Amino acid sequence: MDPSEVEFLAEKELVKIIPNFNLDKLYLIGGDLGPFNPGLPLYVPVWLALNLKQRQKCRVVPPDWMDVEKLEEMRELERNAATFTPAPCPYYMELTKLLLNHASDNIPKADEIRTLVKDIWDTRIAKLRLSADSFITQQEAHAKLDNLTLMEINTIRGFLLESLNCMYKLRSNLQPGSSKGPLADY
Amino acid sequence: MESQSYLPVQPGVCMEENFFSLDDILLSHQRLPIRTEVSFPRLGFLEKSSDSPDIPMGTKMELPLWLSKGLYEQNKRMLSVELPKVYREGWRTVFNADPNVVDLHKLGPYYYGLGSQMLRFDSPENPEIAQTLLQTFIGRFRRTMDSSQNAYNEDTSALVERLDCLEKTLFVSGQCGLNSFQGWEKGQACQLSASSLVLNYRKRKITDVQS
Amino acid sequence: MSNPLSDNDPNQEECQEDDMTPADLIAKLEEAWLNEKFSPELLANQAEVVECVMEQLTHMEANLQRVKKGDPKASIHRMEIDRIRFVLCSYLRSRLQKIEKFYPHVLEKEKSRSKGEPALLSPEEFAFAKEYAANTESHLKSVALSHMPPILQTLDMLKAVPAPCLDSFVFLRVKESQENILVEPETDDQREYVVDLEEGSQHLMRYRTIAPLISSGAAQLI
Repeated sequence: MDPSEVEFLAEKELVKIIPNFNLDKLYLIGGDLGPFNPGLPLYVPVWLALNLKQRQKCRVVPPDWMDVEKLEEMRELERNAATFTPAPCPYYMELTKLLLNHASDNIPKADEIRTLVKDIWDTRIAKLRLSADSFITQQEAHAKLDNLTLMEINTIRGFLLESLNCMYKLRSNLQPGSSKGPLADY
Repeated sequence: MESQSYLPVQPGVCMEENFFSLDDILLSHQRLPIRTEVSFPRLGFLEKSSDSPDIPMGTKMELPLWLSKGLYEQNKRMLSVELPKVYREGWRTVFNADPNVVDLHKLGPYYYGLGSQMLRFDSPENPEIAQTLLQTFIGRFRRTMDSSQNAYNEDTSALVERLDCLEKTLFVSGQCGLNSFQGWEKGQACQLSASSLVLNYRKRKITDVQS
Repeated sequence: MSNPLSDNDPNQEECQEDDMTPADLIAKLEEAWLNEKFSPELLANQAEVVECVMEQLTHMEANLQRVKKGDPKASIHRMEIDRIRFVLCSYLRSRLQKIEKFYPHVLEKEKSRSKGEPALLSPEEFAFAKEYAANTESHLKSVALSHMPPILQTLDMLKAVPAPCLDSFVFLRVKESQENILVEPETDDQREYVVDLEEGSQHLMRYRTIAPLISSGAAQLI
């Protein structure tokens, strides 16, 4: 899957905005939104929030976890734990990129947040590689990956799945006769 | 989104081969040391080193994998296949000691593919060969993964130099994941670019005009 | 008449059995999209979902035609339509890609399907697969096979084109808890064991083991 498609999914997440305009309730196919009143905060999907923001029609309120203190705590937790700690948000990487690129003026300490999230990401990816390696060397059949986010899975997906496939086939060599049919005759 | 317009068929790995895979076709041309167990009349032209019109029984020569396999599976008494050095016990010990030190490209480049195909020829060593192939792959996995996931925007030829063909395909898919993520992070994904199909089509048009 | 965007029209409801709201429908489409993207084999086609989504889109587009120029609502509706259309196209495209990749197997499966079973392919996909097969085969014939000795002129596509590998590993998220899923051993010195898949948990395991959960909707590929 292309990372931009993962980002596309992240854009469905709800984010709080404070609009500066009036608009009646919207009856979208995916559900109702609004009404929009100046100064009254409401939740909308990220794709709409960013569009309104780009047209200077709203202010974006950063999600709770997008906060230097909280992220520092999470970074420590992530560095000290051997396993994956719950991610700040299932789409933390995508939302950080989207909100910081398009609404950084609404997010305090944007640069620090960017660095912190990147640190958390790097720590988690290092762990992911470690567990991928042990999954392969132990030749395991099942792994539970509860706290992994889609973007994290996606960076290693192609490589890991193809490797597992190769390994599966090399292992099937060990059972003589099982796949050793007669010469394939096309 | 897949930008490729042509999806190549992947090599089959192991016993099964994929008919349309270019890698598997190249693999089937690998030459094997064999000994003829019967004489082959009027096939002397296959054996360049002698002028005899026939290939006498007991001749040691090399034949491509596809031919050896075909002849062997029709009648086991026509030829016996010798194990290429890299699958013999001496090398197996080296592989089992530390699979990371060997240059599989030089020894292969179809180390896993050819090794799996060798299992088609009956040999008492087959179980050990199969085991070594698997353990070598597992032993080298970490390195293949790390090199493919860490090298961003640099010359990777040194990294893939010692990889077997199969590992190279894995390396490429690891790089693909890394590059697309890095590209996304830098915001390159939102820039539209012409598909390779269109670009190639334009190139072709120019050559059409020139000819 | 009131504002064309103001409410759901009663005559668009015909597609929605089982009290499915349009929002549920979109969620279903997204689920089908991801499942299709990540499953090694071609899944049963979701003709009904596709049809209903198309209907929703046409309906909404017709409404937008009647909206006054410059209505700020219209642009938001258009964005939503574009997003849904993207998922729909990507879903259909990934199916076509798999049909191209596995066409002899797909056609074979469709041929051997008994009367009552739901179709794997939509009528359009079936036509596409047949045409793709005919084109590929006549291409191979004119480029290579017709120049071969007669006994070598046939090519068994079912053997020549690799079948989908159901033993591939997949990532999945559980939507309805499952107990006692049997995990087969990978090596001789391991033993088979069972796992419980809790709702909301994520796993990496073989597609073959959990394929029934994907088709029943109890789990979702990610």
